[in-house]
Amino acid sequence: MAKEVFMPKLSSTMQVGTVLQWFKEEGDSVEVGEPLFEIMTDKINIEVESYEEGILLKRYYDVDDEAPVNAVVGYIGEVGEEVPNTPPEVAGEKAEEDESAEPSVNVITDSSNDTSLVEEVADENGGKVRATPAARRVARENDVSLSLVSGSGPRGRVHEQDVVMYIDRNKVIVTPLAEKIAKEYDVDLSQVTGSGSRGKIEKADVLAFIESQKAASSSVAPATGERVKLKGLRKAVADKMVESVRTIPHVTLTSDVDMTKVIEVRKALLPVIEGQTGYRLSYTEIIMKTVAHVLGNHPKVNASLVEDEIVYNNDVNIGLAVAVENGLIVPSVEKANQKGLAELTEVSKTLGAKARDNKLTPNEMKGSTFTISNLGMYAIDGFTPIINPPETAILGVGRIVEKPVVVDGSVEVRPMMVLSLSFDHRAIDGAPAAAFLTEVKESLEDPYSLLV
Amino acid sequence: MKKMNVPIKITDDKLVDLYKEMWLIRYFDEKVDEFFAKGMIHGTTHLAVGQEASASGVCALLDVEDKITSTHRGHGHCIAKGATADKMMAELFGRTTGYCKGKGGSMHIADVDMGNLGANGIVAGGIPLAVGSALTAQMKKQKYVTVCFFGDGATNEGSFHEAVNLASIWDLPVVFVCENNQYGMSGPVKDMVNVEDIATRAQAYGIPGVVADGNDIVEMMNVTDEAVERARKGEGPTLIEAKTYRWKGHSKSDAKKYRTREEEKEWRAKDPIKRFKSQLVESGLLTEEKAEEIRLAAKKEIEDAVKFAEESPMPTLDDLLTDVYA
Amino acid sequence: MMREITYLEAVREAMSQEMRKNDDVFILGEDIGVYGGAFGVTRGMIEEFGPERVRNTPISEAGIAGAAVGSALTGMRPILELQFSDFITIALDQIVNQAAKIRYMYGGKGKVPMVVRTPSGSGTGAAAQHSQSLEAWVTHIPGLKVIQPSTAYDAKGLLKAAMDDDNPVIFYEHKLLYKTSSDVPEEQYSIPLGQADVKRKGTDVTVVATAIMVHRALEAAAELEKEGISIEVIDPRTLVPLDEETIVKSVSKTGRVVVVHEAVKRGGYGGEIASMIAESEAFDYLDAPIKRLGGAPSPVPYHPELEKAHAPQVPDIIKAIKETLNKA
Repeated sequence: MAKEVFMPKLSSTMQVGTVLQWFKEEGDSVEVGEPLFEIMTDKINIEVESYEEGILLKRYYDVDDEAPVNAVVGYIGEVGEEVPNTPPEVAGEKAEEDESAEPSVNVITDSSNDTSLVEEVADENGGKVRATPAARRVARENDVSLSLVSGSGPRGRVHEQDVVMYIDRNKVIVTPLAEKIAKEYDVDLSQVTGSGSRGKIEKADVLAFIESQKAASSSVAPATGERVKLKGLRKAVADKMVESVRTIPHVTLTSDVDMTKVIEVRKALLPVIEGQTGYRLSYTEIIMKTVAHVLGNHPKVNASLVEDEIVYNNDVNIGLAVAVENGLIVPSVEKANQKGLAELTEVSKTLGAKARDNKLTPNEMKGSTFTISNLGMYAIDGFTPIINPPETAILGVGRIVEKPVVVDGSVEVRPMMVLSLSFDHRAIDGAPAAAFLTEVKESLEDPYSLLV
Repeated sequence: MKKMNVPIKITDDKLVDLYKEMWLIRYFDEKVDEFFAKGMIHGTTHLAVGQEASASGVCALLDVEDKITSTHRGHGHCIAKGATADKMMAELFGRTTGYCKGKGGSMHIADVDMGNLGANGIVAGGIPLAVGSALTAQMKKQKYVTVCFFGDGATNEGSFHEAVNLASIWDLPVVFVCENNQYGMSGPVKDMVNVEDIATRAQAYGIPGVVADGNDIVEMMNVTDEAVERARKGEGPTLIEAKTYRWKGHSKSDAKKYRTREEEKEWRAKDPIKRFKSQLVESGLLTEEKAEEIRLAAKKEIEDAVKFAEESPMPTLDDLLTDVYA
Repeated sequence: MMREITYLEAVREAMSQEMRKNDDVFILGEDIGVYGGAFGVTRGMIEEFGPERVRNTPISEAGIAGAAVGSALTGMRPILELQFSDFITIALDQIVNQAAKIRYMYGGKGKVPMVVRTPSGSGTGAAAQHSQSLEAWVTHIPGLKVIQPSTAYDAKGLLKAAMDDDNPVIFYEHKLLYKTSSDVPEEQYSIPLGQADVKRKGTDVTVVATAIMVHRALEAAAELEKEGISIEVIDPRTLVPLDEETIVKSVSKTGRVVVVHEAVKRGGYGGEIASMIAESEAFDYLDAPIKRLGGAPSPVPYHPELEKAHAPQVPDIIKAIKETLNKA
């Protein structure tokens, strides 16, 4: 089985590498650790050593060509093995990972102390990572998440050597002095860009980083006023928001919805549901019912992004953003597409009450695949909701307000509502997101279609 | 006055001592029976009440250097070979002062220094050991004799036949004493052995086989004397069959469905201790008063043994792994 | 003074030298007299030591085993030759229920210094009842020690240690090794029980092999060396006590281990060694699953090719090693 040769990611900022020269011709034999080609990055020139042994079967990039990080630039294998004529897709877009595939190199060493990752990460089968005790030990000692390491053994089993190679490739090179300073100032070295050879982090780099952080924080800090420490739920919300905004390329689409018929439906069903459940049906539930139903037709929007995998969820679990004191909580309404309006009303109202009383169980707060955030009780029309990861989309609901609209050529006053859909552009493209929002709008304008 | 017909080396004093010893054996087992019934000692035990004459009669002829191997029903053999009731009771109580430091229990009481090579939980397990012990005596040209106790059930084990044959072909100084108490656990000997006397099995191995009344200590002493002398002279082994009866069940919780109460009554009438007392009184070696005094002294000794056992220390968990290897 | 003698001669020499020195040592067994033993190990000994000390016995494994135990308990140091290790089945009551337990049952009084020497293993065409390797049975019994020498040198030194030991020791001789030879000192020497021998040093994979498998593992190692694979071969020599340290150290170094014995793999001693490794500090160095090789789960067959297939052979060992290296 031929092994891919990748364009390595050599710094946190590197996006592409330029091939400066090849040290091997197609047909040459290559040893592990032998220089294979030289590249230029945004910072340095470096020789890339081979992780494989065999014959260099294919080179896809010539000298001076640019290749994106992680791109397959060639193949090493045995004489006579067939390889594609054009470079395959960059790893991560492939439907199925080859069991002997090279580790994806566009990830930096996880420097967090989250050891649970090492133990509990899921492999492609949803089980645990197959790794030998020795590989686990080395990963543990070096704080490496095994899920990031590709195994060379049978059925992807990670061996010690795989972890060692992974560490070598992803090592943050740092001078002792720089490391010391980083430690003193509590600087995460993986955030620092090195200016030395091979991206080595030097004292000046760390100091510059510290200065830039200071500047950033001082520019927003008010001179006077009450100061409240960011902690507890507020801190959790803050962290989650930052993570979402920092990692997810958000795009927000908006659409006006004519709510005439929804209002009719609510009027008709309110007494019925109140009689059955004791709870009053609100627009939120009707929107939820509609969204859940439409999500069933748009699995791409009902997706989660976990590590480097898009998970198309089987269930439609709707997260309901609930404002509580000092924060925001998102309980999950499970399998909302399988519930009738009466049940949705009862569940939503119960969860909302529990959220405000701080009585939600952890189970009730997890598993949502799509979130609805309703600000319709305020004088808000449209907004840009922030995605609740690992979900990949969120629907913001504005107020219902009477507006003049053109219906069949004449201006009429209709109860209108703006829907704002934010989606994760890594997982969802514009067109499918737009198609989804359009169907939600149309379903709300003709809610009887839900009965079909 | 009727002079008792006993071997020359058995003195009058020895006879009186033997009377006490038989009571010690009886009271020891009766006490153990009581403690088991009360749940004061655990595991299992096998009582030889009613069989005292063979243990005491045989061992009366042995010196300290002589050896015995015993059986699961072996408390009497131990006492007869010189074991003291206190250390035996301590063993049954699982105390460190017991013969096996509380690690052997009822079925494994041994006192190698006193020539007791051990009781045995395996039926016929001790017979080849006795032959090995006799082999040592022969090879080292030592004068000791090894007496091997076993029951009627053991004579159906292969080990018995193999061992008796070895002893016979090598002329080893061993005396095989089969205490035929009529039952191998529940199996009546008449159903399990198709010869009238187990002693006739000796013929198959070319050694003498002798039948004796196992409830008559005097007869036991006499047949043993002859067998021991034969062994000491290097003339080889003898098989003695002591016909006797165990009054109690095989071990605890035995409903004794395999025999009748009438049969038990008949055998109880042949009580070996009462019989020996009559002989001693008739021969003028003992008065009734003296006999009663001895009986009470034996009883007291067992009470003292219980006290000793109860006051002795328990083993610690550290003892679990000691003495696995020498 | 070193000279090359066979494994069989080494066993005989160890016994004879000890018997000259110590009158308490004697040997008993079936056909060990003028016949010289089924495999000729005691040939010439009855002439030197006489029929008392080279004691030809009836075919009575239970009886002679018990006689050995009884004589050991009373001051002798017997060596019992069981003609084929398969026959230990008949002697096991005496070995397992008596010899192994006497000292413990008696609260530390008495000892049973005896050696049971017995030839085991297949490869002679003797089929199911004369070819077994049942050593795992006795390793399971606290109170017994178990030895499996693989060379003439080890046989002599280990037998001396066994005869000096105050416990019952089961000494397994491999029939196919009787004719193999190695340099053996003329004088007496003792190899401590519980000391494994690194028969070959290596870095990539540890092979723990016993008896004849030591030789097959060494052959496999020589083959693999040509491919640049470096094998460390460890011969535990004594199964009880087991030199865990040497094995753990080696596996910690190589991260890969194959355990190989001739005994049927299921319930074999290899399982004990593998478990010991998995429980040890070597666990965190394991870079491949522990591999076990052992006999097939069938009686040893008569047909030569089937018999060969029953036990691990050199190619099987090579294959297992490569599997641990993901190179199979």
